[in-house]
Amino acid sequence: MEALRKKIPLTLPQNTVKIIRIIAALLLLALVIVRAIDVAAESQFGADTWLRLSVSGLIIGGMYALIAIGYTLVYGILFMINFAHGEVMMIGTFGGYFVFEAFNAIQVTAADGSQMSFLNANPVIAVFLAFLAGMTIAALSGYFLEKIAYRPLRGAPRLVPLISAIGASIFLQNAGQLLFGPQRRQYINPVVLDRGIGWHVELAGSTVVLTYTGIFSLVLSAILMVGLYVLVQRTKLGRAMRAVAQDKKTAALMGINVDQIISRTFVISGALAGAAGVMWGIHNGLFNYFVGFLPGIKAFTAAVLGGIGNIPGAMLGGMFLGIVESLGPAVLGIDFQLKDVIAFSILILVLIFRPSGILGEALSEEKV
Amino acid sequence: MKMVLEARQVSKIFGGLVAVNKVDLIVPEGSIASIIGPNGAGKTTLFNCISGFYTPEIGDVLFNGRKIQGMLTDKVAAMGIARTYQNIRLFKNMSAVENVMVGFEPHLKHGWMTAMLKTPDYQKEQKYVINEASRLLHYVGLAGLGDNLALNLPYGAQRRLEIARALANQPKLLLLDEPTAGMNPQETDEMKDFICHIRDDLGITIILIEHDMRVVMNISDQISVLDYGQKIAEGNPKEIQANPRVIEAYLGPGAAALSEKYRREKTHDA
Amino acid sequence: MNKQSLQKSAGSGLVFGIIVIFLALIGFTVVFSGLIQKVLGQSLGVGQIPSISNFFIFLGFLGIWNGWRASRQDKHETLTLAKVLMRAAVAGLSAGVLVMLYGFVVGGLDARGTDMRKYLSMLSSDSIKFFLFNQSLVLGGLIHVGFSTLMALVGGLLAFGSERSQQQVRTNRTKIQKWSQSTWLGKVQGNPYVTYVLMGIVLLLLVLLPRTWGAYWNYVMGTVGIYVLLGLGLNIIVGLSGQLVLGYVAFFAIGAYTFALTTSPEPHNLVWNFWIALAVSVVAAALSGILIGLPILRLRGDYLAIVTLGFGEIIRILLKSDILKDFTMGPRGVRNIAGPTLFGRSFTSDVDFMYLIILAVLLSIFLAKRWQESSIGRAWLAISQDETVAQATGVDTQKYKLLALSLGAAFAGLGGALFASRNQFTGPEDHALMVSINVLVLVIVGGMGSIPGVVLGAFTLKGLPEILRELESYRLLVFGALLVVMMIIRPEGLWPARRPKLEVPVGQDNEPVPLPATAGGEK
Repeated sequence: MEALRKKIPLTLPQNTVKIIRIIAALLLLALVIVRAIDVAAESQFGADTWLRLSVSGLIIGGMYALIAIGYTLVYGILFMINFAHGEVMMIGTFGGYFVFEAFNAIQVTAADGSQMSFLNANPVIAVFLAFLAGMTIAALSGYFLEKIAYRPLRGAPRLVPLISAIGASIFLQNAGQLLFGPQRRQYINPVVLDRGIGWHVELAGSTVVLTYTGIFSLVLSAILMVGLYVLVQRTKLGRAMRAVAQDKKTAALMGINVDQIISRTFVISGALAGAAGVMWGIHNGLFNYFVGFLPGIKAFTAAVLGGIGNIPGAMLGGMFLGIVESLGPAVLGIDFQLKDVIAFSILILVLIFRPSGILGEALSEEKV
Repeated sequence: MKMVLEARQVSKIFGGLVAVNKVDLIVPEGSIASIIGPNGAGKTTLFNCISGFYTPEIGDVLFNGRKIQGMLTDKVAAMGIARTYQNIRLFKNMSAVENVMVGFEPHLKHGWMTAMLKTPDYQKEQKYVINEASRLLHYVGLAGLGDNLALNLPYGAQRRLEIARALANQPKLLLLDEPTAGMNPQETDEMKDFICHIRDDLGITIILIEHDMRVVMNISDQISVLDYGQKIAEGNPKEIQANPRVIEAYLGPGAAALSEKYRREKTHDA
Repeated sequence: MNKQSLQKSAGSGLVFGIIVIFLALIGFTVVFSGLIQKVLGQSLGVGQIPSISNFFIFLGFLGIWNGWRASRQDKHETLTLAKVLMRAAVAGLSAGVLVMLYGFVVGGLDARGTDMRKYLSMLSSDSIKFFLFNQSLVLGGLIHVGFSTLMALVGGLLAFGSERSQQQVRTNRTKIQKWSQSTWLGKVQGNPYVTYVLMGIVLLLLVLLPRTWGAYWNYVMGTVGIYVLLGLGLNIIVGLSGQLVLGYVAFFAIGAYTFALTTSPEPHNLVWNFWIALAVSVVAAALSGILIGLPILRLRGDYLAIVTLGFGEIIRILLKSDILKDFTMGPRGVRNIAGPTLFGRSFTSDVDFMYLIILAVLLSIFLAKRWQESSIGRAWLAISQDETVAQATGVDTQKYKLLALSLGAAFAGLGGALFASRNQFTGPEDHALMVSINVLVLVIVGGMGSIPGVVLGAFTLKGLPEILRELESYRLLVFGALLVVMMIIRPEGLWPARRPKLEVPVGQDNEPVPLPATAGGEK
């Protein structure tokens, strides 16, 4: 008995571990704050820079949020990381691009009799159709992705669909490269949505341009998010989706066609990612087949940050990540090259100190 | 008599739900104690508190006089509490004998270095573990099935394998969570005898969650009845059978009076 | 003839049409026809369009497959000739018509002089003409329809024939199995000497091949060897202990950079002995495994995956950034890394280095096997299957998870050091996320938890694409598709792990069985 007792090392009660963790978190937070105050005291950046950075953070955060919702929806239902989701966004970007290209090629006579491209003559229709095309083709690719690469794997061990998703991601990326070439392309925006122009805000003696493309993206992503929230909370489809996410078996017993709901979830996720892709193109301009990769990973990070499986969490996580990425280097006074380091560090810290994410509830043992 | 387990005022709360409410459970060495109660009464939750899965919010769990709440489950297992699960949880893609060998883990001394070098001590230890695991398999009646994957074993064999794995822990206290669930009457009888054997042969104290009253009333030295997280009765099988609160808990309010009436009629008839 | 089955055939035909169109769009039709031409022994210059006959062979295979698939819709039905032909014809026709329509569109645009390469980079005028068999628009399209239908009919007939002979094949197979077991083949299978002889042959090949097959193959096979090392390590982490780590490249990078910084004149002017640096790299990687592992022990599954992915990316970005420039040379990478020396003699030639890698691989396989078959390996497996229960069974899960991480990382450290030493260079882009994913994929394709699987997986993943150099730009595409297909048809991997036979017989006959001596006893 004595020997046995010796073998068992002293284990700290769980409360102590918790307290240590909280203290460590507070210490870290204090360090960050001290550093931030330090940097602020140097006042390297004026108010204009802060505004510019915050706005660009919000814009990119909106796109992250839209993609993150796709990850979260799929994860909530299938408990799998849809690794190819970033590629779905890439497909959406190309969809919008080709609509713009086509409209740019069509010449029409404007009301004042001058020749101009359809794109500039009817920018509202053009933008609407570009989003429609981008979202539709992304939704379709989401649908077929699920049908071909994931559905046959229902019920397989968890790593299997993940590998399939990685395979699909590699396939789509390379298909994109082979079809459209590796070169970077430039989105041709209608003149009213030109990337240089916007509202001018005078601040601290300098001008901050709030670009129309940025504000447009931000507003549109907000609208789409609200729309999705209403869809999930208020409609019959949303109810079915939530039911399937809770318990597939019981949902099936209640007469819900689980396969169909999963398909539709992929369609909705795809459409949102497609919208984000078109926004990305309109706002940033340059893109190629690789455009979906980093936003995809970042958006997944955002989804985990917010608590994966939780839709408001994904929105919040996306916005949060966008802002942190944009403001972080300035706040901490480090190189902007390191913005991804900040993003990933935040992710790691959040998961270490709060494993279920910001808004997530503790997942049951069976789920994790 | 020496008490193996003393749980005092154990309470476990999930959100607003009090799953186990101030339960006392004292189990003397070498006895078979049963916990019964309707579904959702908190029996498995109590098990989880004893085996270290949960830390009770209030109360103490003492094993051989040492507090064990808040300990990690592997440390609890190393101290001598082993358990089985209501829904069988084996290492499905490992062979049966490997499942049992994992059970010896807390008492092994090997490390990555000795395993790499295959020191004589290490080899001796491995040989001992394989032999003992095979013997345990034989003991629970699975001789010759050891090289099958656990998931390929029939249901009853899986239950026995779970017990063998628990015994490999060399426990002093064995917690069995519904060992006869899903068995036919013959298998149930075998399991009943087997549980007695474990106690008698190996001197292991056993706590049992069980729904089959024939098993419970037959082999228990002591029965505790839980309902809505509270212990409503405790005693030997005779006392429990006669306890009106127990009958009420199982059959609903008014049932006690009915059963009393029924018994009187029966004696009257006789 | 029921309508539903014909609709199904038409649907499957359309899918095939889409596949053909997709292959044409990405230029695969031309490249693969060229490959066929080369395989058939005819020469083909670079950039030259292959001859049309090879395109027919290519289309023929696809068409036969189309007909085969369309005609066998239900495993349980009995096929009649009429049914088969009807279905195959419908499938072939629908595929052909779709392809014809595509031909009309691109052919028409091409005839008008539109250059489509601006949008679809592979769609040159030559390749469009090739697609239409160098015929006119209408004739080319019609040839597509006719050929597709014809080949689908052939495929249908083949399916019909194979269905008939299936029973025959099955009995033959069991006959062959029985025969092989009864004759010398069966004896060979269980004979340990056969294993020794086979191992001897492999060893002999390993000694002879690096001398004979030249620098290029030494390079390719060296890469395969390094990936075997990485695979063995990740196999311990993912395959055995079940921790889904997506940032494995972090350990690879730590090994490579530790080695690089201790043996390169720049930036620290540390020129340590090769072997000391190698050992230090391995230890550094193992320690980093523990350091990274400690805070994330509580995380499971996908959370662990994304956190480790984050770690990997952080390390790569830090290496690439300017803030560590003085320490790690930033994006330029570290150059002039030393090669191996032994007793003052340098042996950096490709042959010598290949031997070094072979040695490292053999040693690693030996070690990985030892650990996997020990009780440590069993504890890992138990954790991977049910961590909660493993812990409640007395397995110190935290210790074992950390052990898996650090041992797995050590293999990556060894791989990284060898990689840096062989290339005499290492830079941040050698350590991108794709390395982690490649290694994970090779472990899974080979078969999780299986050491021969790792070796096979490394050959498939790193060796095969080198052999199929023709298809260079398509190899990742094919690779991605293969992953999906493989997960659907063979998720357990090419060479799945098997559990060893361990049980020893006890209590023969009526001999009373002694009770387990230790159970319940005081210890």
